[in-house]
Amino acid sequence: MTGEAKLIVQGLSHHYPDEYTGESVHALDNIDLQIHENEFVAIVGPSGCGKTTFLNIIAGLLPYREGRALVDGTEIRGPGPDRGVVFQEHAILPWRTVKRNIGHGLEIRRVPKAEREKTVQEYIDLVGLSGFEDRYPHELSGGMKQRVAVARTLCADPVIMLMDEPFAAVDAQTRITLQDELNRVVMATRKTILFITHSVEEAAFLGDRCIVFSRRPGHIKTEVKIDIPREDRVWKDMVDNPKFTEARDNILRLVRSEVTNDVDS
Amino acid sequence: MTTITEFSVAIQRRFGRQRLRKFILGMIPFIVLIFVWHLNSIFVWLDPVEIPPIADVWGAIFWLQSDCPGVIAAIEGHGDCILTNHVSSSILRVILAMVVGVPLGIGFGILAGMNRVVSAYLEPIGVFMNSVSGIAWIPLAVVWFGVGWETTLFIMLNTIFWLLFFNTMMGVRAVPKVLIQGVQTLGGTRLDAILQVYLPGAMTSIITGLRMSMAFGWRALIAAEMIGGDSGLGFMIFVSSSEFKTEEVFLGIILISIIFLATDRWLLVPLEKWTIERWGLVWKPT
Repeated sequence: MTGEAKLIVQGLSHHYPDEYTGESVHALDNIDLQIHENEFVAIVGPSGCGKTTFLNIIAGLLPYREGRALVDGTEIRGPGPDRGVVFQEHAILPWRTVKRNIGHGLEIRRVPKAEREKTVQEYIDLVGLSGFEDRYPHELSGGMKQRVAVARTLCADPVIMLMDEPFAAVDAQTRITLQDELNRVVMATRKTILFITHSVEEAAFLGDRCIVFSRRPGHIKTEVKIDIPREDRVWKDMVDNPKFTEARDNILRLVRSEVTNDVDS
Repeated sequence: MTTITEFSVAIQRRFGRQRLRKFILGMIPFIVLIFVWHLNSIFVWLDPVEIPPIADVWGAIFWLQSDCPGVIAAIEGHGDCILTNHVSSSILRVILAMVVGVPLGIGFGILAGMNRVVSAYLEPIGVFMNSVSGIAWIPLAVVWFGVGWETTLFIMLNTIFWLLFFNTMMGVRAVPKVLIQGVQTLGGTRLDAILQVYLPGAMTSIITGLRMSMAFGWRALIAAEMIGGDSGLGFMIFVSSSEFKTEEVFLGIILISIIFLATDRWLLVPLEKWTIERWGLVWKPT
């Protein structure tokens, strides 16, 4: 953890007018967060707690007024290639082949074709899509589409990769595979990652740190450190890892208390 | 196996049973029509000036081209190649109107689809213009531009532009926002979003718009040529009818349909296959 944090958020709050009543909704409340290089931070919280709002603000897709948010020392103003996003589903372009979807960021940056194809091939191999380079997304399974989405984001080489419940829309077995694979990819690329999920298990499995969000207005309720080396994070071993089960149960209790507690604490 | 069965099996293998079946069923009404038409020339229920015999319609091709010195002259538009001149005149007018109208319609459609202010300006006038049937403009256009290509171009543009405008706009609005956000977070500019997301994303609607433009534009052209044209198939039909050369009228009508079918088969269907079918954006029966 040397040097300045890759992502710095200070006192970030967010209000937006309700679509129907026009009343101001308090979505995020005074968030302070730092993410350092190579860190994997998972945000978990009950649905409607503002975690996706938070990610959209960091991605620059949602303007904010209260507080500060900096990536690599620069104030966030709109979307940019320094913050790649993997969306929940259906975000890769149906009219581009696997290869051209993954290379899209480089194409936008006008990287010469030969160099681009070399880099793209590396990422295709990394996410295990060799042989599918020239397929269109409609010819792929849901899990493969998300592999393309991850490779597309990584290929553009962002400072931080933002992931918004990327595995929520795939079936349970595929999800486990994708989580294992993501660990492998993270080890290979040493990316800094902010990962949003509603799955406690997923957060505990993937995160170096898990940030538990409260109910709306979302604020950071607790932070749970999960001190398991990434090499050991493989599902077949993790299920009996006491560090993992303890962290998972701990986070689960914290999230459940947010869902079931009727009175705002 | 007899030769006929062998032949039938070979054909079915070549084209596919279902496609062949569909084709044959579709041909039956035409065969009935031609058969009845032919019976009329034998029994003369209706006068040849009303329904000319098939042979006369066929013969009209050669009669109209009789003074044409040859194929090269026909392509060059020699004054005596009457039929080919009318056909090429109509086709060139369609091409001209498409070249002008399609980019304009798609361009404004994308703008209006992306931007609520632009659509707020253009939508009401579009509905107004669309509600006025294209051919209702013909008398006015003749006053403004006289008889000739300006009139036919104006009439066709009126049809093509608004159809493409509305279809493109709807298509752009239906493009999922997350696709745009994906490109933005890769560092894409607004131009990237237009060319790489909105345009291909709206392609299904754009092709519908193109198909409608061809259909309605072509009809509008024929009507415009009849009243405000100095050449073209519509003009030919109109003049021939006033001279009671019904066989030429029939020939003109048949050519209009054939040309329209050909543009659909050779331009729009390949475009569809090349884009939205390849991208999996349309449901395709297997």
